[in-house]
Amino acid sequence: MQYIIVGLGGQGILFASRVLGEIAIKRGENVIGSEVHGMAQRGGSVISHFKVGSYKSPLISAGDANVLLAFDQNEAIRNLHFLKNGGYGIINVHKMEVFQNESLKKYLTKRNISTFLLKGYEILNEHMKGNYLFLNVLILGAMGALNLGGISFDEVKDAVSKLSPAKFLDDNMKALDLGKMATHES
Amino acid sequence: MATERAVLLGNEAIARAVVEAGCEVACAYPGTPSSEILPAIAKFADLLDTKTVVEWGTNEKVAYEVAISASFTGKRSCVAMKHVGLNVAADPFMSAAQFDIEGGMLLIVADDPGPHSSQTEQDSRLFGLFAKVPVLDPSSAKEAMEMVKDGFELSERHKIPVMLRPTVRVDHCRQDVELNDPLRLERPAKFVKDVKRWVCLPAHVKTTHPKLNQKMDAVKEEFTKNFSKYNFEIAAQEKPKLGIIAGGISFAVVMDLLEKLGRKDISVLKIGTPHPLPLDLVNDFIARHENVLLLEETYPVIELQITDRRNVKGRWNGYVPRAGELTPEVVEELVCKALGETCTRDADEDLKKAIEELKITPKPPMLCPGCPHRASFFAIRKAFPDGIYPSDIGCYTLGVNQKTVDTSICMGASVTQSSGFYLAHKVDGQLRPIVATIGDSTFFHMGLPGLVNGVYNKHAFVLAILDNQVTAMTGGQPHPGTGQKLRKGDSGRIVPIERAVKGCGVEFVKRVEAYDIDEGVKALKEAWEYAKDHKEPAVVIFGHPCMLLRQEQPKVPVRVEDETCVGCKFCINFFNCPGLVFDESSKKAYIDERFCVKCGVCVNVCPHGAIQVISEEGK
Repeated sequence: MQYIIVGLGGQGILFASRVLGEIAIKRGENVIGSEVHGMAQRGGSVISHFKVGSYKSPLISAGDANVLLAFDQNEAIRNLHFLKNGGYGIINVHKMEVFQNESLKKYLTKRNISTFLLKGYEILNEHMKGNYLFLNVLILGAMGALNLGGISFDEVKDAVSKLSPAKFLDDNMKALDLGKMATHES
Repeated sequence: MATERAVLLGNEAIARAVVEAGCEVACAYPGTPSSEILPAIAKFADLLDTKTVVEWGTNEKVAYEVAISASFTGKRSCVAMKHVGLNVAADPFMSAAQFDIEGGMLLIVADDPGPHSSQTEQDSRLFGLFAKVPVLDPSSAKEAMEMVKDGFELSERHKIPVMLRPTVRVDHCRQDVELNDPLRLERPAKFVKDVKRWVCLPAHVKTTHPKLNQKMDAVKEEFTKNFSKYNFEIAAQEKPKLGIIAGGISFAVVMDLLEKLGRKDISVLKIGTPHPLPLDLVNDFIARHENVLLLEETYPVIELQITDRRNVKGRWNGYVPRAGELTPEVVEELVCKALGETCTRDADEDLKKAIEELKITPKPPMLCPGCPHRASFFAIRKAFPDGIYPSDIGCYTLGVNQKTVDTSICMGASVTQSSGFYLAHKVDGQLRPIVATIGDSTFFHMGLPGLVNGVYNKHAFVLAILDNQVTAMTGGQPHPGTGQKLRKGDSGRIVPIERAVKGCGVEFVKRVEAYDIDEGVKALKEAWEYAKDHKEPAVVIFGHPCMLLRQEQPKVPVRVEDETCVGCKFCINFFNCPGLVFDESSKKAYIDERFCVKCGVCVNVCPHGAIQVISEEGK
């Protein structure tokens, strides 16, 4: 199982790959992935690779990823080529109309790629006083609810609660549930 | 404690192994991709309750000398840095290689092929060859952990420092690894005086250099005979059409590719000890394959040591690109090319079209919203629109987006370049305002000697020290200006920047609040007047904590008044904040609430007064 996580520096992407790692270790699976730290992290495009199974290299090749978690819609589109045919993407969307682009729609259909477009900012504005720090956990909640990569919501919840700093625990649990609810509403 | 498993960052895994190997003195200066190693050493030393001393040095040379001296006394020591850090530490690295050290000394140098976060993509393995120091090149976090332990032992067996050279993909990989108990060495520090051994007089080098050559021969023999866990062949199951020699992370990339393609006609020779190269192994492999592809990052270091390269396709002869990272995509193309086959990779036309139509481009790094440097740079430009702006290495290099970074070479060069610019104009009888920018940590790292030089030689320039109370770019490490240390219960003493500056002989020193642009402009103008009149450097310290420290500060919500905004893009071009963006359809700037942190600084930026504070009543 291969995951690509993309977004902008500062959006909490590293926490998401730590959660995936925690889930895998609990299952007794081998994992290897790659992260971005340093200058590239400062607000610019960032990408994490995460592979579960007997892989040696931390990097995912274009066309090989099963799941794409995108914290930013532009970054999602820039990195869609990582998804294999039949792959799945959760995309945090701030401008829904972009996904009406005909070329994009054609690509997704041709590759049989499914997407869940999550209005993350809207949800966080409404329910979490606009605190966008919880975007990562919101996306993880949706991922668990959709059972992507065979990971259940409860597994995600256990891992997030284990890795959460105490002061964010309650809010993280709330964000997880919001992510889950969003998948029900669509 | 039984063996347990954990998913760790590559650098954390390396750190764990350093502690497990019984290292007692660990030093470093932060630099991507090495920065996480030292804090993780402190974390594991606390967790496992070892005696290990863990310290940030003020620069890599300092850290190197502290560590290696501990090994003179029999202690195991280690020092970690990024590749360009070894340039700074090159002096002790070259000299001490000739010594017969006592305790094991591990030099961890993190290379950055790409580069992702560096000013060069130099290959530290070549530096190992230059200094005649053995080099271990891990292909994963797991292997790096083993190499740390073997590195200390190798170092003690041959009484020579050993280099572990992880690349960024090993440092910043996340992998499940085994955790073990630490070795608790009982080795009291014992420094035995011996002038011939510890003083690098020219006369002694006549003995030590030939001895170093003998050490290299012995290590080479060991690498050839006893290190089959790092150097091994995975033979093709069928008659091989291609032989691949791969070092470091390139081995991992190749193995995943062959697995995916299901190829059985390619053999692979993995080399984990690139210097001194186990030449017999390599020559034997080359002799058995007519077609050999050599993959290594970033320079042709294995390749250079091969005596007959005629059948080898590598970086040296340009078959493999002579620069850049060997990503899975690049490796796949090279393997196909070497096999004489066409790659099946297809760039999809629809996706390409969508990206073009939607005008989606990669987002380059920017200073964080609310970053105090942004305000400082704005003040600098406002004070001296026609100034020369030498800058330095750190987050603030991103001031290039605000057109207030004209040059950046390496750590500390902002100060010395100011001297150079001053002198170049002076010989023509000219004078231009020069405002250099340097961060707090970089100032302590290598700004000090240049400042003393400027005072001594009487150079007129303004040095703006951007004091955000942390080494920010690398993730938030302390430095002498903060006084904090890494191990639990350990604390240092603060070295105030003002006093350091005055100690260098600077008379004009003024501290301002970085968010206050007007105050900054005023101080800069005063400083330049002083520098010009007295022919000496003047210093302005711009203080405000880094956003990464997440300190509470007043929230000042702002908006862009549509009717006042003329769409001139001044704020975009010279303030350049992720929270302040331009809408191409309405031709107006607006606040992007996704990123704005309500620092309120931009209110003073718009020449038309279009950016306004949202008052409480207005809500």
